Amino acid sequence: MSELKKNNIHKESFISGIWKQNPLFVAMLGTCPALAVTTSFEASFGMGLLFLFVVTCSNTLISLLKKIIPEEVETPCYIVIIAAFVTLTKMFTNAFLPELYSSLGVFLSLLVVNCIVLGRAQAFANKNTVVDSILDGIGNGIGYTIAISIIGIVREILGTGMLTIGGIFTFIPKFSIPVLKFVNSSGVVVYDYSMSLFTNPAGAFIVFGLIVAIIQANKLHQKNVESVNKKKELALKKSQALEKGAN
Amino acid sequence: MANAITAFLLAIVSSMLIDNVVLNRFYGICAFVGVSNKVKSAFSMGVAVVFVIVFASLICWPIYTFVLTPLNIPFMDTLTYILVIASLVQVVGLFIKKYSPALYKSFGIYLPLITTNCAVLGVVQNNTDTGLNFALSMANAIGTGVGFLVIICVFSFIRMRLEESNVPKAFRGVSIALLTAALMAIAFMGFSGIIS
Amino acid sequence: MSPVVNWIVAILVILFFLIVFIVSFILYKKTPPPKGCEGMEPSDEKCHGCEQEGCHFNLYYNKTSMKCTEKKNSDKTEENEKENK
Repeated sequence: MSELKKNNIHKESFISGIWKQNPLFVAMLGTCPALAVTTSFEASFGMGLLFLFVVTCSNTLISLLKKIIPEEVETPCYIVIIAAFVTLTKMFTNAFLPELYSSLGVFLSLLVVNCIVLGRAQAFANKNTVVDSILDGIGNGIGYTIAISIIGIVREILGTGMLTIGGIFTFIPKFSIPVLKFVNSSGVVVYDYSMSLFTNPAGAFIVFGLIVAIIQANKLHQKNVESVNKKKELALKKSQALEKGAN
Repeated sequence: MANAITAFLLAIVSSMLIDNVVLNRFYGICAFVGVSNKVKSAFSMGVAVVFVIVFASLICWPIYTFVLTPLNIPFMDTLTYILVIASLVQVVGLFIKKYSPALYKSFGIYLPLITTNCAVLGVVQNNTDTGLNFALSMANAIGTGVGFLVIICVFSFIRMRLEESNVPKAFRGVSIALLTAALMAIAFMGFSGIIS
Repeated sequence: MSPVVNWIVAILVILFFLIVFIVSFILYKKTPPPKGCEGMEPSDEKCHGCEQEGCHFNLYYNKTSMKCTEKKNSDKTEENEKENK
């Protein structure tokens, strides 16, 4: 019985970070990079992967040290640990993926004050075991990567008309998938329906606002369905009670 | 001398209007969206942010130039900056608590929240990443702070009007605020050609 | 300078700033707010946009409840509207 419970807790802490408690769309944290680096799909995907690395590592280390750090100086210690991992990530990215480093700019350093990383450390990692913290970190990282990639894909397709892969991750040969804009092999533009508003900052706000509205509409619809079901159950119970009373 | 002062003022205006901190550079979004619909708390948050950004740049740029670079450890900048910003916030808060209850009433409670504001660390890191000299860094910092204050106050005025109007249910709350920010961003695009 | 000396200097610099931070952090927590300002909490107003853990750095934030009271009020009004309909 306790083994079943343990498996369930592991699964829950992993899956909740991906969809139900998605850190970007549900908890609305970490929105600064989500609007700034999503002009291209590859940059946002790279940002998500680096975020996954930082969250998992910091969760692990903080969970390992949770009994040593006194409670009054929690926040300074967490900040130092997270900043150390972010510096590591910066040096790693500068060495192996320099195009990603130059396209992310200062937002790689801003992972230090990302609300998600600090929030996960203070809400989860200092109370749970190491395995749970690792799973929670990976789950949140995957959720954030999916969310930020969705915004990146939408903005790139609507804004430039083509989905370019291989521009930043140079080990993949560069190719573009034409969606709204098609350029002939001889350089002639066949059709071009792209809207350059979406590569501007205003487009970022529009895309993000619409996605949040869609998710909120979904939540309201589910609440509606639940309350209708509850009313039906209550009505059923009342009629059953009346029948019993009549009998 | 007049040339230098003009350049300084132009730099302030450029980082305040043209390259706006929230609408173009996307720095303080969480505080920007999370600020309440009341103008007073928006103003307090903005004033506190100006305070912290200016003091933080005042201290962090000399630390980078005179401590980190001569000692050959420039990679330690992120860690140093965040520690300096956090301790600066605590020290400023300490002074305000002890010596100025009026200032504490107006923005004291927002001070610890500004440590995790992207704008402070973003401006400080940007100053040294792009290699600006001291005067331009201070101009950047002042422009960013004042720009944040202006934008947050305008935004809270607009949100007060939005509260009273009939917004569709799916858009209530954060979503309509983001779409309003999109319209503000389009409006601010008009400033882009001012300084040639 | 050799790399070893580099590392030692880096660690010393970070330790210095960390100690300054810890000292100022503890001093700030221990001084009471000035008279007439006790009990001021930004958590109700600040949490308007963020769902739950956005206010973790706030020293006065209520970590046990971790709920935003303004959000609860808006949910209640929506339920009231549906019941009235």
